[in-house]
Amino acid sequence: MSGIHHFVPVLHRGDAVGRHTLRLRDATRARGVDSEIFVDTIDHDTADEAIAVLSYPEMARPGDVVVYQFATASTMAPWLASRSETLVVNYHNVTPPELMAPWDNHLALGQLRAQGDLRLLAPRAALAVADSAYNEAHLADSGFAVTAVVSPSAALDAETTASGNDGRRATRATGRGARWLAVGRVSPNKALESTIAALAVTHAQGNADATLYIIGKPATDSYVNALHRYVAELGLADAVLFAGHASDATVASAYASADVLVVTSEHEGFCVPVVEAMSAGLPVVAFDQGAVPEVLGGSGVLVSDKDPYALAAAITALLTDTSRLDTVVEAERRRLAELNLGSAADRFVDLLLPLARSEASST
Amino acid sequence: MSGALPPTGDADDAETRSGVGEPPTGDQVRAAAALREAFTRLAPQGSDAWNFLAAFTHLGDRYGPYHPGASALSDAVSASRIEGRRTGALDRLRPRRNRSPRPGDGEKTELEEAMGHVVEAFRFLSARVETLEARFAAQDRPVEGAAWLVPARELGAWAGPIAAHVLACTPGGEIVHADCGEGALVHALRERGAAAHGVEPRGAVALRAIEQGCSVTIAEASEHLASRPEGTTGGVVLSGVVDRLPLHALLPLLAQSRRVLRRGSPFVVVAEPVAALAARDTSAQDLVDGRPLHEATWELLLRRAGFVEVAPLPDGSGQDRRIAVSASAPS
Repeated sequence: MSGIHHFVPVLHRGDAVGRHTLRLRDATRARGVDSEIFVDTIDHDTADEAIAVLSYPEMARPGDVVVYQFATASTMAPWLASRSETLVVNYHNVTPPELMAPWDNHLALGQLRAQGDLRLLAPRAALAVADSAYNEAHLADSGFAVTAVVSPSAALDAETTASGNDGRRATRATGRGARWLAVGRVSPNKALESTIAALAVTHAQGNADATLYIIGKPATDSYVNALHRYVAELGLADAVLFAGHASDATVASAYASADVLVVTSEHEGFCVPVVEAMSAGLPVVAFDQGAVPEVLGGSGVLVSDKDPYALAAAITALLTDTSRLDTVVEAERRRLAELNLGSAADRFVDLLLPLARSEASST
Repeated sequence: MSGALPPTGDADDAETRSGVGEPPTGDQVRAAAALREAFTRLAPQGSDAWNFLAAFTHLGDRYGPYHPGASALSDAVSASRIEGRRTGALDRLRPRRNRSPRPGDGEKTELEEAMGHVVEAFRFLSARVETLEARFAAQDRPVEGAAWLVPARELGAWAGPIAAHVLACTPGGEIVHADCGEGALVHALRERGAAAHGVEPRGAVALRAIEQGCSVTIAEASEHLASRPEGTTGGVVLSGVVDRLPLHALLPLLAQSRRVLRRGSPFVVVAEPVAALAARDTSAQDLVDGRPLHEATWELLLRRAGFVEVAPLPDGSGQDRRIAVSASAPS
């Protein structure tokens, strides 16, 4: 009996791609279709969920559909491209190497290879699925002929959005002591220096109580070190806290106590923290860049001028206007409902089933 | 401080899609550019060590995974590649006596073994470079710590007399002041119609200067002077920075100043008097490498750096006990 199988270089239970892959496998099985997850490198934590990829040739059945979770360069890409099964690429975005190159050549080379992998897979794929229209455009640029968009199924799977945000009400009336929050991998494409520069402007304008809490795993030491030095040079050492990688509970607590999520990324394929903030009732202020406007869908506050003064002004204006704050948070709630993340895995499988059936009927 | 800042737009005017309202003023645009530039210079791109490492990264990339066995698939692919290669060009390079019969699994040609040794040597060197880079980063720009421990004093009452002196001597061209602090001298020079530029390593202080209309680069004086073309600057004034730099860093700074100055341009050093060491009752001073120098020592240093007409500047500052030594680049 043929199946729909999922391939990912390594399956981490704690990361977004890993959670998404597990969700897709479960949703596929729920439709009565055989589904396994094949990995190149076994993570001990998920060893019971995954099968070594070299076992697949023995397990392959005519009519199989293989779904490749594409987020990084891997030997899996050329290997899958050389096989005959119906191939579906689920694209999670690759950061442009030019954003990483000034900071980490090794990572930049990896991204360059990933771009090559994507072009290699394009002529072989029956379908490519992106998690945003922004990413879908990148797929089309890379040569994929048939594409679709489905929101990431596991965007809210992490328990990072516990309710309870009364603490932030106190700062809203005056805008003083505002608690800014940035969540996500501390990577050059996140352009956290723009957030820090805006905080410096806010301090310079007399609001020296404003703080910035940065949560996220460092992508590369050189960038994180530079951010630390930048913070010191701007005299913000007491106002900026780098938490590093944090537990879901810590992130949930940060969403609950912050006043605003600030996103200044140069490049975002989706931006899960935005939907986490929406879910936590936290207003989002972001640069109008990448997939962020699409995910916000008219909610939140977009800053079109990538300037620290404009960003600082937008944040202060929002936090000092209680009625507007409520309007923004309510709009974000409506947008989150529109995204309908709870059904995303089923919608993804809906796209896969016809491929499996057509393949089965032709064999 | 906030009262001196340009307005940033009315909060009530903000809209959901922002970037509307009042556009940033010219000073704010320049301040934003300075903030961006201050961060960009922290990127490690372009250093010799960085490019060296990049070259080795490329080698490692080309010759396979750094940790063999990390990926089952890549091992399998590598094995098939090596197997396929045995009948290719490398086989022809094997000594004839070893060429036949076909080598068994896992056996390598001498050339492959030699290449393996070379690649391992490169990897070893690469690791060394990484270690050195890390140590370099840890010790990078040690003077910054001193800048924060003992912040430079503003020029205060010296700003007027020095502006007058520099303007009287300059043959034209931009005048540079480092550390410019909140920009009193730059402002005084600009008011008198001269082109002036400040250099200040403390971003928050520099920001205040920029917002008050001064042209300022957030950087160490040595970094900024190194970026200026030779013989184009109409005058250099050093204050603050000279009180915290160790002597071995002062000498290159004087040489850089001499290099960028136009012929006959004025050069002024404003430094703490030796007596200030005892007067400054702070344990932070113990951690600072720089120590006040006698006026005569400054004169000697300036002459050794190639300046002429070296002389103490008449004290026009009233109660300020700092010393000022002026000189000129040779005509």
